[in-house]
Amino acid sequence: MIHQYQNNGFNIVLDVDSGSIHLVDGLSYQLIADLDKDRTLSDDTLVGEYEEKYPESEIRESLSEIHSLEKAGQLFTEDIYKNAVIDFKARPTVVKALCLNVAHDCNLACKYCFADEGSYNGGPKGLMSYEVGKQALDFLVAHSGHRHNLEVDFFGGEPLMDWAVVRKLVAYGRSIEKEKDKHFRFTITTNGVLLNDEIMDFCNREMDNVVMSLDGRKEVHDHMRPFPSGKGSYDLIIPKFQKFAAQRKALGLQYYIRGTYTHYNLDFAQDVIHYADLGFDQLSMEPVVAPQSADYAIRPEDIPVLKEQYDILAKEMIRRQKEGRGFTFFHFMIDLTGGPCVYKRLSGCGSGTEYLGVTPWGDLYPCHQFVGNQKFLLGSVFDGIRRTDIVDEFKCCNVYSRKECSSCFARYYCSGGCAANSYNFHGRIDDVYEIGCELERKRVETAIMIKAALAKEN
Amino acid sequence: MKHIQTLSTRSLQESMKKGGCGECQTSCQSACKTSCTVGNQVCEQLKKN
Ligand code: SF4
Ligand code: SF4
Ligand code: SF4
Repeated sequence: MIHQYQNNGFNIVLDVDSGSIHLVDGLSYQLIADLDKDRTLSDDTLVGEYEEKYPESEIRESLSEIHSLEKAGQLFTEDIYKNAVIDFKARPTVVKALCLNVAHDCNLACKYCFADEGSYNGGPKGLMSYEVGKQALDFLVAHSGHRHNLEVDFFGGEPLMDWAVVRKLVAYGRSIEKEKDKHFRFTITTNGVLLNDEIMDFCNREMDNVVMSLDGRKEVHDHMRPFPSGKGSYDLIIPKFQKFAAQRKALGLQYYIRGTYTHYNLDFAQDVIHYADLGFDQLSMEPVVAPQSADYAIRPEDIPVLKEQYDILAKEMIRRQKEGRGFTFFHFMIDLTGGPCVYKRLSGCGSGTEYLGVTPWGDLYPCHQFVGNQKFLLGSVFDGIRRTDIVDEFKCCNVYSRKECSSCFARYYCSGGCAANSYNFHGRIDDVYEIGCELERKRVETAIMIKAALAKEN
Repeated sequence: MKHIQTLSTRSLQESMKKGGCGECQTSCQSACKTSCTVGNQVCEQLKKN
């Protein structure tokens, strides 16, 4: 399968099934499009078609380049993976990551919070006890098979509201690593309100990644992320985040400034640029996941505006990169040479199988987005997974289980989308969320264009 | 080549031969929590080499 597009002055051809990316001139762009429609077209026919516009020698030269890429398995390849490699249902899976919702409570009242300010679908508030957390880590170790690296995210609500337990759990995890031959990679996501020096020091020693929630410009952030009193949180958290990020940068550690954009800041590129202007350089900004009825939800008519924003952001990134003050944007990061194998690319996000969400009481759900929805309660860290039928459904969620994905050029980058989004919009986990797909495709195109632009530089 | 510049990428066909070990991160987890991108993840096997 071929996908062609033009962006920022580049003619880009993706050979989807081999993962090859070609930057081509205008003539080759047209020739490839013609051949994609009809592979039986002969060189002579194509020369006849274009000789008024291009010299014959040029056309033949371009065609010979096209044919040699074809021979090398880099153009006009087919999907050879579908039947050959993966029997998804039979595939054994191990649990390799847990999202520990240590606090179903929050000290902010963000308007779009999918966790309903920590109550998750109106459930009770509460903090995870050390005993439950310890059991969760034991559960993870016991179900992780030969997998060495185990990921644990401290999440919420606001996990710093249960900080004493987080500290103890990290210590417990470290204490069993050697004996169990495992390595824990801890991550914490925080709104910053309770951050202090002690917490930063601890995280710099123990956490592989720290995700700081910030929505961008002060007015945008304060509108969506106020305290329960209605007062904004921007002024309180910015200095702490700046300090924390600077420390992690100096230590070579990962962090993300992570935001959510909604219908209220469709010009979100300005918010990402605002992050960069504040000195942050590892950035992420996501479209909100919300029911269509919410006033802040992304609407179909917002899509053209949002796509343009990704272009604006990309151009600014390229400009700053060339000036030596570049930043990374999570959704534009594509590792072309060191990226995942095809199995990983096809097998979906891992929710419900490799990745599970845990409530403060130890209940297990397919991922943090399903927490609190009783229909998806899988079991608990104490007595394991009872609903293997649900796990089997999630096992089968992959690129090939979704009709739209089979014909989508982004499938090897996207892996079939988000099961929770699909459930929110269609009441089933193996469908796709069209607005999300439109934006995902745009991001993949833009990310590749950035690679092209930087490659041309060199 | 004069008309076409090919960026270097990991061949997906080749990755079929030695892949699927499962050591890499789950996709949602790495930064975003509402995400579905795997293209930006790092293969632990390639990292080792
Ligand atoms: S670590 Fe690499 S080879 Fe192993 S499953 Fe992940 S992407 Fe594939
Ligand atoms: S963008 Fe949508 S259709 Fe394309 S692979 Fe992702 S989920 Fe499937
Ligand atoms: S279902 Fe969606 S939110 Fe849950 S792990 Fe998968 S991509 Fe992430």
